[in-house]
Amino acid sequence: MTNNPTEPKVPITPPDKWVDLYGDYLYGFAMSRLRDPELASDCVQDTFLAGIKALDRFDGSRDIKFWLRGIMRNKIVDQIRKSVKENKVDIEAEDEAILESFWFKYSGIATTNPDPWEFNPRKHFDNGEFWIVFQKCIDQVKDPARQAFVLRVLEDQSTEDVCKVMDITPNYLWVLLHRARAQLKTLLEQNWTQIDNK
Amino acid sequence: MLTCKQVSSALAQGDYKNLPPLRRFFLKMHVKLCPFCGKFNTQLMESQDMVREFREKEEKLTGERPAMGEEQKEKLKKILAEQTGS
Repeated sequence: MTNNPTEPKVPITPPDKWVDLYGDYLYGFAMSRLRDPELASDCVQDTFLAGIKALDRFDGSRDIKFWLRGIMRNKIVDQIRKSVKENKVDIEAEDEAILESFWFKYSGIATTNPDPWEFNPRKHFDNGEFWIVFQKCIDQVKDPARQAFVLRVLEDQSTEDVCKVMDITPNYLWVLLHRARAQLKTLLEQNWTQIDNK
Repeated sequence: MLTCKQVSSALAQGDYKNLPPLRRFFLKMHVKLCPFCGKFNTQLMESQDMVREFREKEEKLTGERPAMGEEQKEKLKKILAEQTGS
């Protein structure tokens, strides 16, 4: 039989070559999400081990690199859950100031008058350098807000899942995301205008 | 009619595409008419667009990221070899 439907469309790389081929790629991803070398290498290891176990379920519809990346998505969530449980992430009590503010109570909007961007970020979307700065800025966002941002926005988890993982209420998640966005904007304005003016 | 609070939480959750059509219509109308929600929505969209772009471009950025140490790689290879062997 030459037309075997179960035959994968892309060749499966044997697991002993995974470390050389995909190690750096996955590690880089893990670092960008977890910011901790130890957690990141644990995460890569877990991904590879889970990959070996599930290898017979690999359907070969896309490159194994992206398949492993998909597994890693779950592992990153697990790692963040673990560090939240071990209280490594400092989740303070609800940010009363925002939650209690008049505007939030009646409109759900923390500040009705956010400053406009100092530059138009859309103009720089094609500039590779902008995204390198962007990535560095995400790394600098302060802790519980960064985890919330990574989970909800970058890893695209649902609101309920993020709340469960981080053990917070949806309102507080809203505050964290708001803070992450505000910080990211400030950081981008600081760092990018410096580079752009050079 | 929807209140600002309902609108902003729907916008922030980003799931307005899954809302029933009539609700989505009111949501759109509110955002168009209300100066506060309009401004909020604009900023939110900017940030969401940016992240969407970033996620697309992210794959190409891996060269800029920290790589694994050689020692770590050797260790990992050993662990993997044990797993595949057994």
